[in-house]
Amino acid sequence: MFGTISNIVAAFLTLCIFSFLYKDNPFYKFAESLLVGVSMGYAIPLVYENAFIPYVYRPIFLQNKFLIIIPTLMGVLYIFRFSKNLSWLSRYPIVFGMAIVGMFVPMSLNARVLVQMRSTMLPLDNINTILIFIGVVTILMYFFFSKEHKGTYGKISNVGIWYMMVGFGASFGYTVMARISLLIGRIQFLLGECLGLIK
Amino acid sequence: MSNNNTRFWDRMQNLDRRYIYIVVALAIIIPLLIPFNSKTYITEPVENLYKKVDSFTDREDRAILMCFMHDASTMPELFPMEVSILRHCFERNIKVFTICFLPTAAPLIDYAINTAKEVGGFDVKSGIDYCNFGYKPYALFLPILLGMGEDIAEAVETDSEGRKVENLEIMKDLKNYNELNLVIDFSASASVQTWITYARVKFGANIGAGITAVMAAENYPFLQTGQLVGMLGGLKGAAEYEKLVDIFASNNVVFSKEIVKETWIPITDKQIPYQFKIARIGMNAQSVAHIMIIVFIILGNIGYFVSRKSKNKELG
Repeated sequence: MFGTISNIVAAFLTLCIFSFLYKDNPFYKFAESLLVGVSMGYAIPLVYENAFIPYVYRPIFLQNKFLIIIPTLMGVLYIFRFSKNLSWLSRYPIVFGMAIVGMFVPMSLNARVLVQMRSTMLPLDNINTILIFIGVVTILMYFFFSKEHKGTYGKISNVGIWYMMVGFGASFGYTVMARISLLIGRIQFLLGECLGLIK
Repeated sequence: MSNNNTRFWDRMQNLDRRYIYIVVALAIIIPLLIPFNSKTYITEPVENLYKKVDSFTDREDRAILMCFMHDASTMPELFPMEVSILRHCFERNIKVFTICFLPTAAPLIDYAINTAKEVGGFDVKSGIDYCNFGYKPYALFLPILLGMGEDIAEAVETDSEGRKVENLEIMKDLKNYNELNLVIDFSASASVQTWITYARVKFGANIGAGITAVMAAENYPFLQTGQLVGMLGGLKGAAEYEKLVDIFASNNVVFSKEIVKETWIPITDKQIPYQFKIARIGMNAQSVAHIMIIVFIILGNIGYFVSRKSKNKELG
């Protein structure tokens, strides 16, 4: 019984959202607002139960770990973001949050720069490594703006533009695939779980 | 005649977008209602991830961690992946952990575990064969990610049922990333790169990705460098993994490329439950929709060039 009711509600809300394809209308607006409200309503007690109780209330009041009061107060300072006169206080927790950037820099440099660079410096013994080499060099030349993109230099940097276009095309193709997948998911739900037409 | 031709293309150029929506909807609905058997080719990133997961078969001192970093909006792409991997683990007696850092992902974990368990009819027990760490606040993402490099039980503390992780039977031979040797992040964001940046660089953990198609192109460089052991990209990746589980894990067979080439699994086969072939059925509709989009692009371009030619003629 509960399954049937939840399917009817979900199907109605799906159709409300799909109605936007025709034009903007109150049904779409209702479903959109409901989504925002339900998401927040769901998140607040869950965060309270899984964050506030185990990491603030229980350590301070039940286990007498009073040092936790310091980071808790630091977190409370975020609330002053809403005050015009005291909003400067919210910068202190942000400062501590930014400390994490210090740890991020060396690790990120390794993961996203050094390892990536190493894999572009492979022996040119197959077509893939040759294509990677040409792509890296020509794109780097395209982004070198201290020299005018004319003559031979312009032609080489044009190859870089072609490489980037292929990259953007692949990315856009994947995006189209993703959006169609989401539509397929909803139609599978409407035809399968609601109407029982797919088995 | 030529005038009529130009008028036709002009009309095509100004076609109301809602007609295109109807055609795309039909291109999806018809293949879903009338399924046909199309081949699913296995790509290397999916094969590598399957082999990595499969290498943990029957091992007490190895486990995988599945991190659910998405909400219901990307379920059509990511949920079939999650169910397939859970099914793989249950079939091959592989210890599996789940965790999420988004409140809206918490019910998805239960839904995925229950789907794999109930539809597959597996006799697996929470705390022994698998363990759901449940929802942890996002602010604890990094502390937990780094903490698990030292001691999983200390970093996570309790599972979704409130039990102390250190007391669970599943934790007997598991301490940190040396044992929890594969982390698979399911997301529609760049969170997999956080696992690469910290868990991979600092602790040498193996990272796999189950990501939406939108994110796939961005993550390919990490495959080439070996920072990702494998990747499932969008619905296609899910369909490939479903097929591998059907061929090997459900028949208790070790992976072989020759078998993949020779085996043909029709998706109209009623013995395979719908939930275990949902991505492959979806890929049928996806293929037809892609063909429609390609046709529209070609028609649009022909219309553009014909209209431009006639306008140039008019201008002399």
